[in-house]
Amino acid sequence: MQPKPIIIRGGHVIDPINKVDCEVMDIGVRDGKIVDPSEIEESKAMIIDAKGKLVMPGGVDPHTHIAGPKFNFGRIMSPQDHRRAWIKATPTRRCGTGLVVPSTAYIGYKYAQMGWTTAIEPATVPLKSRHTHEELDDIPILDKACYPLLGTNRLVMEFISKGDIESLKCYIAWVLKETKGYAVKIVNPGVAEPTWWNRYVGLDLDEQLPEFNITPRDIVRGLCKAVIELKLPHPIHVHCNRLGFPGNYVTTLKTMDCVSDLATGDKPIMHITHVQFTGYAGTGWANLSSGGEAIAKYLNAHNHVTLDLGQVIFGESLTMTADAPFEYVLYHIMMGKWFGGMAESEATTGIVPYLYKKSNYVNTVQWSIGLEVALLTKDPWKIVFATDNPNAGRFTKYPLGLSWLVSKKAREEIMAKLNRRGLKHTALPAVDREYTLYDVAIVTRAGPAKILGMPEKGHLGVGADADIAIYDLNPVEVDVSKDYKAFIRAFKRALYTIKSGVIVVKDGEVVEPNLYGSTYYVDATKALDPDAYKSTVNYVKEAFPKLYSVSFENYVIGEHELRKPLKVEVAK
Amino acid sequence: MPRLEVALVTGRTIKQGSQIESERYTKEYADAAAICFMNPDDMAELGVKEGSNVKVTTEVGSVVLQVKAYKGNPRGLAFIPLGPWANALISVRTRSTGMPFFKDSKAFIEPTEEPVPTPEEVVSKNAGKKLLKVPVDYLMSPGDFKGEGIFESHICPICGCLCDDLVVEVKSGVISSIKNACARSLAKFKSYAAERVKTPLVRVGDELKPVSYDEAIKRAAEILVNAKYPLLFGWSETSNEATRLGIRLAELVGGVIDNLSTFCHGPSVMGIQQFGIVTSTLGNIRDNADLMVFWGCNPPSSHPRHFVRYSALAKGLKIKGRGERRIIVVDVRETEAARVADMFVKVKPGMDYDLLTAVHMVVKGLELESDEVAGVPRDVIVKMADMMMSAKFGVLFYGLGLTATSARNRNIEAAIRLVQALNDWTTFSLNPMRGHFNVAGNNHAFAWLTGYPYAVDLSRGYPRYNPGVTSTIDLLARGEVDAALVVASDPGAHFPAQALRHLANIPLIVVDPKWSLVAGLSDVYIPTKMLGIDAEGVSYRMDNVVLRVKRALESDGLMDDVEVLEKMIKYVEEVKARAA
Repeated sequence: MQPKPIIIRGGHVIDPINKVDCEVMDIGVRDGKIVDPSEIEESKAMIIDAKGKLVMPGGVDPHTHIAGPKFNFGRIMSPQDHRRAWIKATPTRRCGTGLVVPSTAYIGYKYAQMGWTTAIEPATVPLKSRHTHEELDDIPILDKACYPLLGTNRLVMEFISKGDIESLKCYIAWVLKETKGYAVKIVNPGVAEPTWWNRYVGLDLDEQLPEFNITPRDIVRGLCKAVIELKLPHPIHVHCNRLGFPGNYVTTLKTMDCVSDLATGDKPIMHITHVQFTGYAGTGWANLSSGGEAIAKYLNAHNHVTLDLGQVIFGESLTMTADAPFEYVLYHIMMGKWFGGMAESEATTGIVPYLYKKSNYVNTVQWSIGLEVALLTKDPWKIVFATDNPNAGRFTKYPLGLSWLVSKKAREEIMAKLNRRGLKHTALPAVDREYTLYDVAIVTRAGPAKILGMPEKGHLGVGADADIAIYDLNPVEVDVSKDYKAFIRAFKRALYTIKSGVIVVKDGEVVEPNLYGSTYYVDATKALDPDAYKSTVNYVKEAFPKLYSVSFENYVIGEHELRKPLKVEVAK
Repeated sequence: MPRLEVALVTGRTIKQGSQIESERYTKEYADAAAICFMNPDDMAELGVKEGSNVKVTTEVGSVVLQVKAYKGNPRGLAFIPLGPWANALISVRTRSTGMPFFKDSKAFIEPTEEPVPTPEEVVSKNAGKKLLKVPVDYLMSPGDFKGEGIFESHICPICGCLCDDLVVEVKSGVISSIKNACARSLAKFKSYAAERVKTPLVRVGDELKPVSYDEAIKRAAEILVNAKYPLLFGWSETSNEATRLGIRLAELVGGVIDNLSTFCHGPSVMGIQQFGIVTSTLGNIRDNADLMVFWGCNPPSSHPRHFVRYSALAKGLKIKGRGERRIIVVDVRETEAARVADMFVKVKPGMDYDLLTAVHMVVKGLELESDEVAGVPRDVIVKMADMMMSAKFGVLFYGLGLTATSARNRNIEAAIRLVQALNDWTTFSLNPMRGHFNVAGNNHAFAWLTGYPYAVDLSRGYPRYNPGVTSTIDLLARGEVDAALVVASDPGAHFPAQALRHLANIPLIVVDPKWSLVAGLSDVYIPTKMLGIDAEGVSYRMDNVVLRVKRALESDGLMDDVEVLEKMIKYVEEVKARAA
């Protein structure tokens, strides 16, 4: 049954893509899309009275670990996490457990309760993508996608060492199409490779890799070039070399700069992810300081890079990344649980539990880096607010994290409890800037949707997907910079969340748990020269038995295997 | 009468493993599984000859078996293949792990004139209920299938190897040839029609009555809804799609859902929960590993193509074959795997933990003070550790020899810690040899839907997990569950007798492509299509690589597991709605 059309009446609408800043207006919803409210017959529509409420597009999270073999090993490793939070199954709702690594249904419900409607799993080994998709299929409500890991792939390194960008393009298009991926993910390029991951720990951008006679710089540049030429909706999504090492902000700057010459116009060609983890200055843990200012400075001077924060939220976390070398180092610091994984010819994995303490010097510096970058970068369109869930903090803490952006008071209150010496090594205490709600809408919805290249997401213009969040917050009456607690309260539990035109959350409770969103994937094969594509696929097919222990035919994931695939075709 | 005390070990043999893929109600099954392998000297001491009968007795029962000599067994150790005969001897005590005493129990052997019981006799006795054979009228014949063509890269859904290079040729509905198959695979694909049933059946007294699918599924739904604490067991030999539906069904009926890992690699999962694991996909191992340790596992019997495709004998990208690898086998007896080893280390039964710890000590640079540990001389342990540390890329494969022996999950923890420590010296991977083709997928699907990988209790509406309390064998041993649904598994062949006894005597629903030994005890039996033969579905290899199993044949009139479960969920919802 088609849901009734909806008119959201009289809300304070913030819609940065359409340059709507807190205007009182009506929004019409029909057949899962935004329509002109005058087109809807009022008597047949459902009217939501949003007077004095805040209306925004549904939240978009471009980097959140929510599914796949790595995340699920995190669940398997953490039975204790599932004992302390749970919801019961009902005739319509699924059961759920977990705080840091929640079960699939719980993830969908919790995101929706906060008003987020799109979330993307940022690292999946192509060989195990089928697992990721099975899990994504079981996450209700959200639209989702996943990024295949290509920065340590043997074939990618081979094509780059030969300088064969044409074949690389074809190979990328093939992987995205056949494993149903959305963008190219690069993790610790060249270093987090399944055979030498624990031997070249901390290798820098310009150091030689043991095989293929290339450096990480070549990999980043090669993939960047290929993705630009392929015109993929999302640029390369880069997790830099030397993540987690003191002094690594230099590597981050070099990584950003290494593709600056490839940029044309103002279109970003690189997305640096969880920049907090790669924004450390200093020569060791003892004198760690923030490199956030330098990164923000670079961002202010250049338009080819966007980034997400990886903002630290104090408390328990489970670090999980395809950067096995880093987790190997972290394991030797923590000496607790450690999961390490190697996937043939493609990538690696690591999982180590971690605890961010307010009293800790390093953790305090880490906390301030994310905020520094966000507040010192002038243009919020270059910034995405995310915590690299669950690495730096779990996604359910986004309202708390955002409160530090909108309110200096909130920052000062928490800084009073933080490590004194740590704060001296950052510029944050001197920063006065506060985000407006318009900025918040940019860094949580409009910006990420634009960076992801999803034109139907992140805004409320006619024709957009009807993914809407209504918060119980009157932006005219409440000054969030003073009353940041009202902001947190409102964002924690959305008054309404509408997904594809269906009311899924009302008063912070999930009312439609049985809606399942689409899985986006990119098909760029049509944009390629058919002969070149065919010959690359043949080359891959021939190399396959050497590189893999599964056959070429069984590697490929059919569209029928996904619950609701949504193909994004890239035009020539 | 002479009487010999032995340590009893049960495990897979290639003959037993092949036979369960074809027919179980036959003399061949007894010939394959009702065997007691003994050291020839022990046999001489007892005064028995090859082929004569012995009575094996443990604290829980006794059974008559045929004796066979196996030189690889050390003295004082008897080996019995998995099956209902072995089950008669196995204690249901699990030491709070969910894993019964498949290995390491004490037994007495004496000569006897009594005959070896048939499969029907032994299962009926174990279950305390008459095992019914299905009348021939209800059985399928090879002619009931359709299909044509050559299926390349066909996936073999039997063991955790999930080989995907089979070539299956189908001529007018009959599988005419299979290439690249192992003995177990051959048995499965050749007897794809054997013991397959056409119609759902319900048991009335000692009679079987055919019913429609609707009727059978309705009855099953009623049984589950009316039960206070139902058990939903199995899942490891069906697709992940079906498993995911099974969890939904368990949510609705408020029962316990558990999969086969509860008594194979459940202890591995417990080890991972404690310490994590460093592991690798098999292709990476094939390409790079120059040292392989097989500990408490015997791939030639359990995973016949493992050696050739992924490990000992495989040709890899950098390591080209057996000649460039070194192989260590650690086991309580000289298995088939030991024959390819450079170094065979015979550990005393139940003392793997000691040996793992000793190796770990050497790796850490500590002095071993005792001359031998777990029956292994010090210099051998030092050499083992040296080989592991100096490898370029090493791997430790382990099987039920670690998970089912006395220390269980502590063994796995020791292995995990050892491998984590070895990664300071080289690159090293720890790989469990998962038995059933989708048991790894079960753990994953359970974990992502409920947070826990097996033994999930949903009786309160939200998931709870506590091995030893919510694990199948313990629940059955304590007689707590009051109805059961068994999907794609054969507890009749693999549950210890005492656990089977409770299962057989509560309302029992079996969903299985074949008339398995547990089907013969069931109250409602629902036949389904078989993965890899006439059904498709996703399955996870032992290294968590995911493949989608394809079908080679078409069958009329049968539903597959997914359809059956979808319908069952619908009926359960209806029954519950009516009650509300």
